[in-house]
Parts: sequence; structure tokens; C-alpha cells
Amino acid sequence: MSITYLEAIRAAQERALAENPNVFIYGQDVGEFGGAFKATKNLAKMFPGRVIDAPISEDAIVGAAVGAALQGMKPIIEMQFADFSITGFNQIVNHAATLYWRTGIPCSVVIRLPSGGTLGGGPFHSQSLEAIYAHYPGLIVLTPATVDDAYWMLLEAVEIEDPIIFCEHKYLYYHLKAEKISEKDLPIGKARIARVGRDATIVTYSAMLHEALAVANELATEGTELEIVDLRSVKPIDTDTIMASVARTGRLLVVGESWPWGGVSAEVIARVCCEGLSLLDAPPQRLNSKDTPIPYHPNLWGSHRPTAHSIMAAVRNLLNL
Amino acid sequence: MAQIQVVMPQLGESIAEATVINFLVNVGDEVQSGQDLLEVETNKAMMTVKSPCKGKLTKWLVTVNESYPVGSVLGYIEVKEMQTKTTGNEAVDAKKTPECPQSQALPQQQNVSPTVRGLPVPAPVLGASYMSPRLKARMHELGLNTADLAGVKGSGAGGRITIDDFERYLDFIEKQKKTKASPMRVAVADAMCRSWKRPLATVGLYASLDKILEHRKNFSPKPGPSLYALRALAIALSENSAPAGRLIGKVIVHPQAIDIGIAVEAEDGVLVPVVRSADKKSLNELIPIYNELINLARQRKLAIEQTGGSIATVSNYGTFGLVWATPIPLPEQTLVLGLGAGRVSPVLDKEKNQFVPSTLACMTLSFDHRVLDGGAAGRLLNRIVELLNNPEEL
Repeated sequence: MSITYLEAIRAAQERALAENPNVFIYGQDVGEFGGAFKATKNLAKMFPGRVIDAPISEDAIVGAAVGAALQGMKPIIEMQFADFSITGFNQIVNHAATLYWRTGIPCSVVIRLPSGGTLGGGPFHSQSLEAIYAHYPGLIVLTPATVDDAYWMLLEAVEIEDPIIFCEHKYLYYHLKAEKISEKDLPIGKARIARVGRDATIVTYSAMLHEALAVANELATEGTELEIVDLRSVKPIDTDTIMASVARTGRLLVVGESWPWGGVSAEVIARVCCEGLSLLDAPPQRLNSKDTPIPYHPNLWGSHRPTAHSIMAAVRNLLNL
Repeated sequence: MAQIQVVMPQLGESIAEATVINFLVNVGDEVQSGQDLLEVETNKAMMTVKSPCKGKLTKWLVTVNESYPVGSVLGYIEVKEMQTKTTGNEAVDAKKTPECPQSQALPQQQNVSPTVRGLPVPAPVLGASYMSPRLKARMHELGLNTADLAGVKGSGAGGRITIDDFERYLDFIEKQKKTKASPMRVAVADAMCRSWKRPLATVGLYASLDKILEHRKNFSPKPGPSLYALRALAIALSENSAPAGRLIGKVIVHPQAIDIGIAVEAEDGVLVPVVRSADKKSLNELIPIYNELINLARQRKLAIEQTGGSIATVSNYGTFGLVWATPIPLPEQTLVLGLGAGRVSPVLDKEKNQFVPSTLACMTLSFDHRVLDGGAAGRLLNRIVELLNNPEEL
């Protein structure tokens, strides 16, 4: 018996619906169809009237959710693709994010963004938008990389009274499996040391965690031990854990699947340079996708985003600086 | 598959290129990380270039007996296919992936390029002298300075010392026999290191001590030759204080008063008590002041106002039997006058046209070459010797 990352997200929503009568799910085709990726499969049947199909308007979806939250409900919104959330951007960043700060009324909305690249996804079905949402005060941005985190962080997100951007990686939906859901170990806001090492730190999150772990295992055969920090939540960001890791290793590479400009990797490096320059024994490095729209062709896509190969090259460069 | 460059490393601080002597590995051979790949010769030594990683050597770009600059690519190592299946690797067939050197291979060593307003930009980050913020912080924490790292071989880019090199060195030091340096030793070390940042030079001249040795018999206790030298230096500087000035930025700061220090050996170090306004007191008046300062210094009982603020120092290394030395001026001074041991030597008496015995000593003047040159230093030293030849006027 094993459970995939996608099944964990479905299970978390099922549990949230069962435990809290204020929770409802709203999104395009989430009802009878079970969602574009089947993240809400059978939930409409199990919870009649609480898993609701929405019109094809992200603007309207988020607007309705914010209104429901004002009335004390806890909506979970599914965007079919993170890329489409931009058409609801105004409602998310101008209304949901600022509501509590303007009125004192919490805006307990969870917005699920199926994020990241898949084979042939192209420019409109592959984006990772954690940085652009993390830019806005008032939003919490989560990027689970494991089956356990997908499950526990989504459940915790429902409890939190701030609007949550839940970036779930599409590539992990089917590829990432666990034997079972383990006990909850870390709260939202704490990063996880996914691997202990002494030679260099890789800070990463979401699907790139697994690429980084592969590189670390490969390098371990050469006697180089990488420490890997899984951010889990990019906002709030766990600066303490990052600093502690850099303090141990003196070298930092930040890997993110999103674009380089003003991204999470830039933020991590800025924090380390501003607060911990004296921890660094080499210039900090970052690796992101190329600064171009995401290509359709699988081979182009493979060289557009960071992979274990390019991470390996970046690590070797870092170790020789 | 990733091709990793084999780069000509920085083989020493002033080495710009090296000649390939011998290949130790052939194309197609499997190599380990750190394995010697080829021998190169610099104008200083034979060395080896090591493999940056584990893999297979696929190409040599260089030929034996040719010279290549530091940073040039010597060959390529192919890193073998990653064993672990990852999400990314499953998606894309590595063989079909278009060649993408920027992400697939080690980025090129960034060489100096003129980018800032057309001016060449130095890139110390790749040089052996570069110290990372972490290394600086660690050394500051331990109270060490750059000079303490002289014995450490760097393994980082361009031969720089990485924090790992440094910690290994500390471990090595930990195993050696150690004694605690006295606070005086540490203070002298600090002052000398600061002083050594300047270009220092020394000029020397023989002086006859005959007149002084005759003159000092008039006093009891007899004043030492150092006091004569001190007084002569004070008079010479009162005539022209510029040589004792300090160069601060683009101005010469002239001394306010002719306060001259005397180097006195104390246990495990040197103390420099100061004779204030030595130009305004006669030799006669200076004798008791001088003797008291020397006594206090030897007992290490100098008051704070009795040290510091001097514009030059007299060092009588002749007391150790030394005939010649190049003392280092204190960091806040430009000059140090040295006095060698007197030796009875034959000197040609031109009137009699015969050699007569005379007590000669070498006097040296060490100076900050930024402030004055050999000519000015020589004129000052000649003037001092001239004054010493007329001790009754001192």
C-alpha cells in the first residue's frame, strides 16, 4: 500500500472536509469530474454540496472565496494550473492579502496552485509562481516537496487564518510515492534539513529537492557531503535554519525551478549575504531555470530548468570557488 | 553527459603560466577526484595538475613543452551518467538533450575583463591573496592576522586558502609544542606588521666615534653613544623636519615637536621611552632625563606619557655587538637611526699620509621610502655624522 503526492493532497482535503464543516472546495471541474488532476476525486459524492464547480473565471472564484471567508467559511480553491491564477491576481493580492490588514477580519482561504513543469507543458502550464506571491505581504506561500508535507501542510493551511498559496508540484503528483503518511513532525514556517553534510549547503524546495538529493547521493560516492535544506514554506522563510546550515558548511547554492529574477533563490542569497556574510567561504551561487518563457519541447525544457546534471555542475563549481 | 574542464591552476602567487612537461593520464583513462593528471613546470618548481572530479579523461587540448597561462583549459573530463533516477532524468533523455554548455559543464573560470568604465578590473577573488569573509571573520575571532597564514597552502580557486585549509592548519598547530607569547611580544608583532605595510629602506655611513669617546669622559656617569646620536638627530631634524614627516594620503604631516624615542630591550620585547623636545635641551641637560628613562624602561615602569608620540627612534644595536642592521621604524614614525658597534680600524690620515687607529661605527638610517628617498636620507645621515664630529656643540 503506497500513497502518491497527489493522493496525499486528496486525502488531506477529505480529512479537512470531514473535520471542519466550514471547509468547502471551489474550482473548475472539481465536483463530479474530480478536478483536472483528480485531486478532488469522489469528494463531491462524499460531501454533497461542499465540493462546488466554478465558472471559468479565476477572478470570480477567488472573489467568491474571499466573500465566503468574510462570512467565516474556509474555502479551498483549486486553480487548474498555477499559470491561470494570474487572471485572479487582483483578487488574491489586492483583496485576499490585504483584507485582514484593512478590516481586522481574517481571510482564511487556501488557494491550491498546481505548479511547475512537466513534459511538454510549455509556457502556460509549467510556471512556478511562488516568488511573485511571496512578494505580497499578507500571503503565506507553501511549497511542499514530500508526500508527508503535501498532506500535513495542506491540513495545517486550512487551520491558518491567513490566505495561503499552496504550490503543489505537478511533476510530483504521480512520480512521488510514500509507503504511508508519517507522523507530522514540523510546523509550517520551519525548513527541514533533508540531508546532513559538511561540504556545501543546497537550499531548495518543491521538486528540485529530489534533484538535489540525487546530486548529493552521487557526490557522496566521491567523499563530498552536501547538506540539503528543504524550505517547505518560502514565506515565511526559515532564515535561522538556512544560516545554521551555511554556518556549518561555508558554501551555499540555492536551486529553484522558477525564474531567476527576484526569485526565492535571490531572496535566500540576499538574506545570507546581509546577515551572514562572515559565514561564507565562497561566493554564494544560485541555479534557476533560464530567464526565458518555458519551452514546449521536452528536450528544450530539460535544458531550461535545473536538473540533477546542471545542479551537479553548479555544485562542482561552488566547491572549487 | 557533462564535460568538466581541467584548468591550469594558480600555481603560486606570482606565477602567470606553466609549461606542460608530461601527461600522467591518457585519453580514455578513468580518473579519481584529486588524481594527478599532468606535470607542469613553472619558473619556480615542478608541479602537478589534479583532477577536479571523478570521471573519464576525454581530451587533451595541450601539448608537451608548450606554456599555457593560468586559467586556460587543458582538457576535459567526462562525468559519468548519474546512477540515481530522478524526476528530471526520467523526463529527458540525456543523449538527446541539446548541447548546453552553460548548464551542463563547469562554468568557465571568470578571467579579468575590462568592464567597469573601460578600466581593467582586478579579480582578487581568483587569486591566492583573496580571503573569504568567513576566513576573515574566523581569523578575527582568533586574533590572527594575514602574516600568520604564511605557512598555509591554499587548495581553493587560484590557490586561495579556504576555511577548510585554515581549520586543518589550526589542527596541525594544535599538535605542535606551543608556548604563550607574552603581551609585549604580541604588541611588538602587531606594531611590526603594521609598520611593514610601508616600503622601507636603509642607508648607512661610517662615523668616527673618537670625538664622542673623548667627550664623554667629561661626565660621570658617562653618557652612552646613543644619547649623542639622539641629540644629533634632534638638531638635524630641528633644521629640517620634513624627513620625519608622515605621508597621510596626499599630504606630508610635519612633526609638532622633536620628540625622539630610544629603543630599550626589555624582557621579551622592546620599549621605546621618549625624550621630549630633544632639540631644545643641551646634551648636558639630557643626560639625567635619558638615564632615568632607560632605568624606568628596564624596570618596565614607564608612565604612559613617557612613551608614544615620538617622531623618530634611535636604536643602538651596537650593544649586541652588531655592526649593521636594518631596524624597522615604529608604525607612526618615518625614521629610525641605528648605531652599530664601534670597531678600532685603520683610517688614512691625509696630513700625515699614514694609517691611524680610529673607532668607527656604522650608522644606519631606515626610512619610509614613500616620504623620502636615498638622497634626502643620506643628507640627513651625513648631517648627523657631521654633528657627532663636534660633540662639544651638542
